[in-house]
Amino acid sequence: MKPLDPRLLRYARAARGYLALTVALGVVTGALVVAQALLLAHALGSAVADGATLPRVLPLVGGLAGVVAVRALVAGVQERYAHRAATRAVAELRERVVAHAAAVGPRRAAPADGASLVTLATRGLDALEPYFVKYLPQLVLAATLTPATLLVVLGLDWVSAAIIAGTIPLVPVFMWLVGVMTQGRSERGLATMQRLGAQVLDLLAGLTTLRAFGRERGPVARVRDLGDAHRRATMGTLRVAFLSGMVLELLTTLCVALVAVAIGMRLVYGQMDLVTGLAVLVLAPEVFNPLRQVGAQFHASTDGVAAADRAFAVLEVPLPAAGTALAPDLATGRVRARGVAVRARDGWAPAPVDVELVPGRVVALVGPSGAGKTTTVEVLLGLLPPDAGRVELVAADGTATPLADVDPHDYWRQVTWLPQRPVLEPGTVREVLGSPDAAARDRAAALTGLDAVVTTLPHGWDTPLGGGGAGLSVGQRQRLALTRALLRPSPVVVLDEPTAHLDAVGEQVVLRTLDALRDAGCAVLLVAHRASLAARADEVVHVRSARTGPADDGPASIDAVAESDPRGAVR
Amino acid sequence: MSAARVPATVAAPVAVPPPAAGPTAARTRPPRGTLRRAVRLLDVDPRRVALAVLLGTLALGSAVALAAASAWLIARASQMPPVLQLSVATVAVRAFGIGRGLMRYLERLVSHDVALRGMATLRTTLYDRLAAGSPQALLAVRRGDLLARVGADVDAVGDVVVRGLLPAAVAAALGVGTSVAMALFWPPAGLALALCLLAAGVLAPWLSARGARTAEERGVAARARMSATSLGVLDDAGPLAVSGRLPHELDALRAADADLARAADAGARPAALAAGIGQLAVGVAVLVALVTGVPAVGAGLLAPVELAVVVLTPLAAFEATSLLPAAAVQVQRSRAAAARILALLDAAAGSDERPAAARAVAPEPGDVPAPPPTGDPSGPTLVARGLACGWPGRPPAVTDVDLRLAPGSRLAVAGPSGEGKTTLLLTLAGLLAPVAGTVTLDGVPLGTADRATVVRSVVVTGEDAHVFGTSVLENLRVARGDVTPEEARSALARTGLGAWLEGLPDGLDTVLGSDARTVSGGERRRLLLARALLSDAPLLLVDEPGEHLDPTTADAVLDALWHAPATRDGTPRGLVVVSHRLTSLATADEVLWVTGGQVAARGTHAHLVDHVPGYGEAVRAEEREQT
Repeated sequence: MKPLDPRLLRYARAARGYLALTVALGVVTGALVVAQALLLAHALGSAVADGATLPRVLPLVGGLAGVVAVRALVAGVQERYAHRAATRAVAELRERVVAHAAAVGPRRAAPADGASLVTLATRGLDALEPYFVKYLPQLVLAATLTPATLLVVLGLDWVSAAIIAGTIPLVPVFMWLVGVMTQGRSERGLATMQRLGAQVLDLLAGLTTLRAFGRERGPVARVRDLGDAHRRATMGTLRVAFLSGMVLELLTTLCVALVAVAIGMRLVYGQMDLVTGLAVLVLAPEVFNPLRQVGAQFHASTDGVAAADRAFAVLEVPLPAAGTALAPDLATGRVRARGVAVRARDGWAPAPVDVELVPGRVVALVGPSGAGKTTTVEVLLGLLPPDAGRVELVAADGTATPLADVDPHDYWRQVTWLPQRPVLEPGTVREVLGSPDAAARDRAAALTGLDAVVTTLPHGWDTPLGGGGAGLSVGQRQRLALTRALLRPSPVVVLDEPTAHLDAVGEQVVLRTLDALRDAGCAVLLVAHRASLAARADEVVHVRSARTGPADDGPASIDAVAESDPRGAVR
Repeated sequence: MSAARVPATVAAPVAVPPPAAGPTAARTRPPRGTLRRAVRLLDVDPRRVALAVLLGTLALGSAVALAAASAWLIARASQMPPVLQLSVATVAVRAFGIGRGLMRYLERLVSHDVALRGMATLRTTLYDRLAAGSPQALLAVRRGDLLARVGADVDAVGDVVVRGLLPAAVAAALGVGTSVAMALFWPPAGLALALCLLAAGVLAPWLSARGARTAEERGVAARARMSATSLGVLDDAGPLAVSGRLPHELDALRAADADLARAADAGARPAALAAGIGQLAVGVAVLVALVTGVPAVGAGLLAPVELAVVVLTPLAAFEATSLLPAAAVQVQRSRAAAARILALLDAAAGSDERPAAARAVAPEPGDVPAPPPTGDPSGPTLVARGLACGWPGRPPAVTDVDLRLAPGSRLAVAGPSGEGKTTLLLTLAGLLAPVAGTVTLDGVPLGTADRATVVRSVVVTGEDAHVFGTSVLENLRVARGDVTPEEARSALARTGLGAWLEGLPDGLDTVLGSDARTVSGGERRRLLLARALLSDAPLLLVDEPGEHLDPTTADAVLDALWHAPATRDGTPRGLVVVSHRLTSLATADEVLWVTGGQVAARGTHAHLVDHVPGYGEAVRAEEREQT
């Protein structure tokens, strides 16, 4: 983990300006600290050694007051813009991560260590705030103030400068030594701590279940024991973790003390004047201050830096090149997939499968869960490039264009996709449906059962719905989405498990909708769990997963189900 | 100045105001005394706290003393006295140099130990009170996402000790000490130092906390929108892209973030003022000492060496107060966490409808297999009359339910989803208070019955029952502490998990992931069912045992349930099974068909098929699907 990752500046523009400002303020702070020390030393030195009166030191005091005022101003400005830059940089990173993950597909963008992408994008990146507000300024000061003050000390008194310069390298050396010695121990301790903490939460989460069996009182002692074990494990870790902090403090304070004693001894023998001694005394702690602060703020920033690292990993997942060719008219053309297969965790899901979407026909994908039905849909929609096989859009005249070459937006314009949880834009029911004429709307709504849903809504068709159709159950949302698909039939319609949240009665709705879509000439792709649904398809494609790859395996067979009267089964 | 930093993994997540959460989340400002109540729950040992404050004061006191002693040493040395007169000062300077790091290390150990002990106590108390309190409060927590935050909230309350209260106590002790010491040399300097310390230690932290609060309060709505939009885009990236609405959603995310930035800006203003005041206070203290001290030296009121001490000591005296703005923000954050924890405890304690006596005498069932209640030789009987059930504060989901469950009877509750069938089961189990009507166990209303007696007779297995992050066997022992491996194996075999068990790497000792992430939905259902079957309670209430299973397996599992063996003492099982699969209900003595919030029809499966159109249609649809 780098203290300042250049990628942070590349991906978050707000961080660049902020870093520039912080460096500028850091340089100013360095100058002010030196000025303050010299002014103070001169004023105090002349008063102590020469018995100078107030009017004589007043110009120095005036200068000192000015320096103090500017330092306060600088501190305020730094804090003011630190918060501002932090929020903006976090927002920028968040947008990039979310947009990039959406573009490459959240599944492929998900962090490798299993952390949730949503948590990373929201709370994870928010943890960058302490990094920007507290850590970064001190890091900059360590690079500006420390060398500046050290140089001034060198100019004033090379002995003190030598003592300080001799101590500074010891700081990282000792920190590294302590770190190496304690690392294994800390990691073991951290793992134990996390496990114990999770166990307590697990018991709390299962308390309702324990209660249902009347067993809730037993684990009280266990919670107490876990808490004690957690404390012991944590203290074991902290005992070594705090060592590095102690070494840092010990080295820096002791160094300042040694500088003071050395100055005192030379003053006694008249080898130095008081003003120089005082100036060095005031400056010596300032040399170490940024270093100590960096050490102190380090822990507060680690969460944010780790989150930023994960965010960069997401952003570095390559974006698949989008095609530019125009899609053929699919009202007359077709979508053809041959030997399409996708690599899964342990094998292939789906194993090679052939699908062809033809206007006026319903194709059902069936297969056990985990076989890759939804993955197949994503491949057919161009959201996921297949690892084997090819998908083509075939125009009415027979010219085939690979899906990868087609501009996806041009293709998607001709597609309606109803996922398991339908996504609806906010607006009234009427607006969500695209404000159709009442007769067509009522016909479609009667078919899907949306009319019954609307009668229960407080404002009927004008009931406002939140994003995602908040206020409606999943089943009701499905009816709404089905109605919309009926009112604006796209050439290609994909229904993913449309009966998942409907009971046997509600299922009839889907079957009727399916028939209506077929009659409208749509090419329908159906992901089906229930046999009753698959039975209504013109063609059933079995999707299966496999351990072996497509190289040693032929394409899956297409089971064309004997065409049955599509309306017969209902009655 | 090293702050009281805990390694990030120990501390609560930093800087993250809680996202908008469940209905009980406290959005308004917590009442006064919230934090005091919560800290009292930590039950910290005052002697350890005093020790930590003492060590902390000595550590930072060493730094102040180092500055004062160095100033004296150098000023005195410049007068070229005999070296021996300086020896005490040189030794003191070195000792203070070492003392600071050492004391600081010890202080951190003691204070973190205090905080961790407090957190352990709070966790135990929380568990204890939730376990003993109202079941309803617990169900509400389980439904919201509050539980996920409990861990972080407990840490945040514990953190207030290390990061909030201790630094404040140390700063107060040190501030008084330093000011008095300076006043002894030169009163105006001491007075100025005290005032400046107050500005840096009280005014600046207050501004900081106000800034943090402003940013959080103004940003609540934007933060909720930001979270929801991020979640929406990442969950539904594909559908949004295909429907062409992705750019629109990203715009919404950008707008929410812009609002959030405005809120942060509003909060940054007081924070900037606080930072400026903190820096200004040091300078003013030094300037006042200088301006008043120089004439005093001329007038002979102050020795020149003392002037150096009085002027230079303030430079080191503000280290303790410089930690306080962060401490104030921590207190702010901890107070919000404390409010949530106290709300949880209050809900557990307050809304319990049972008399206190019934709760107080509830014995711990422990691991001893308890005999069924005596009195009724045929076993317990659960009777519901005119029962209406629902969540508090909402219209009842089901009304007017009458049923009688005795050992040996087999009841089924069926109906479309969302009709409150789960709520009915929870009410029958006594975990939810009836909205109207009564539920009695052997004539005693469940609300007043002793909970231990109730669970000996009635056990509910809900849809969201928990699978613990422990071994398979221990998970089954939740039902009864003395389940033997043989019993466990046979119960798993009965629910069709025999092959699954064979495939587990360590058999019954295989550790399952917390909340069963390593178990599929169907396996989880059957594991929960096996657990229910191992219970000694004769009356079992089971929610959707066939969910997430293919039709054939679902029917087999339901069949196994209908023919569940008697309890160990020979009492036959009485069952209430909620199911949306109707075909397998033919075995039930009676089926309650719930639609429109009422029992629309009841009777045997065959009767309902013939006489209730909705039921018949649903059964036929199900049968078609299997052909």
